[in-house]
Amino acid sequence: MQKLGDFKLPHFFNYPPYFTLQPVRETREKQVQLWKDLILDYCRTQKIFIIGLEEEFPLFSNPVIERTLSHEAREAFFSALVSEGRAEWLDKGHRKCLILWHRIQDWAGIILNFVKDNGFEDSVMTVEEIRSGIESRGTELHGIDRTILMRALKILEQKGKLAIFKGTSADDEGVKFSV
Amino acid sequence: MRRRPGIGGLQTAAAARDQYRLLGENVAKLRTDLMKEQLATFRSQLEEFARKHKTGVQIVEICLSTRPLNGGLIDLQELCKLLRQKRKHDREAVSEDDCLRAISKLKTLGSGFEVISAGKKKLVRSVPTELKKDHNEILELAQAQGYVTVDEVERRLSWTHGRAIDALDTLLDEGLAMIDDGHSDGKRRYWFPCVSSISSFGADS
Repeated sequence: MQKLGDFKLPHFFNYPPYFTLQPVRETREKQVQLWKDLILDYCRTQKIFIIGLEEEFPLFSNPVIERTLSHEAREAFFSALVSEGRAEWLDKGHRKCLILWHRIQDWAGIILNFVKDNGFEDSVMTVEEIRSGIESRGTELHGIDRTILMRALKILEQKGKLAIFKGTSADDEGVKFSV
Repeated sequence: MRRRPGIGGLQTAAAARDQYRLLGENVAKLRTDLMKEQLATFRSQLEEFARKHKTGVQIVEICLSTRPLNGGLIDLQELCKLLRQKRKHDREAVSEDDCLRAISKLKTLGSGFEVISAGKKKLVRSVPTELKKDHNEILELAQAQGYVTVDEVERRLSWTHGRAIDALDTLLDEGLAMIDDGHSDGKRRYWFPCVSSISSFGADS
């Protein structure tokens, strides 16, 4: 099985036709599904949150079989992820895509667990501490994309689980938990 | 039962009603019992069938699960390999002959399963699509490299361009072929999953 670093690539990645967007609907549906799963899997294991469709991304080419995904194919796969709520376009030109290998609601749940696991139910922390503090190490929150983190925090704020406020320095926002 | 006037008559009528009711209940119970027994018999027959035709059932499962990837046509050797993987806890090894026997049993059940020959390979078909001779010839040609180009089909089979395109388009529509426009020579290739051993896509083995 071919690997990309630690990551085991699925068999279809070595079959040339999968790099061409298929015209027959049933075949294309299967193709899109396989690519969607691959993109989400890869991003989750490599902790990748943003992908630029026009940039070099390891999944876009397979040098072993000398094939590269056309822009049309890339657009199709990412649009499918967006339709399913597993990604969002960051620009109107569809050049950059935010990957939600966890949905925002799931991230909110992960934050709540993090709070309970560390006894932070009444604590105050900066947003940066949540994503890079000592307690975050070894958890999925470590290194989380700030945009995603803020969105998840806002959901929790609406549910009354916390309050977001501006910090004393111009730098960072803070969070007061009331879980 | 003769009707009798007076209280005696009413009591008789009541007794008669009771008897009819009991009879009715018994009949209903008999019906339910009979149905339960029939279901139990059917179920054990089904289980017996599944036991006897375990291999056949597993073959059907494999064909159904790989159908989205190969259009309903799978290489016999590939099928056997997947079957062995499925049964790895089973002491009984499965040979190609075992597979063929199980498939011919499936065929007699009218399930649409068929083994077809294309060149050196045997392919198991699990969809009702009839493969015409033209399609068969292309499948044979594709076995060399796993794909064909339109030029190749025209040249090697001495067909007109129209005939080649028609056949290839049909195979594409049936899900038996996939296009590949990524080669640097710019020529479109038609790949045939059923002649390559890649039916294990999607379910990583």
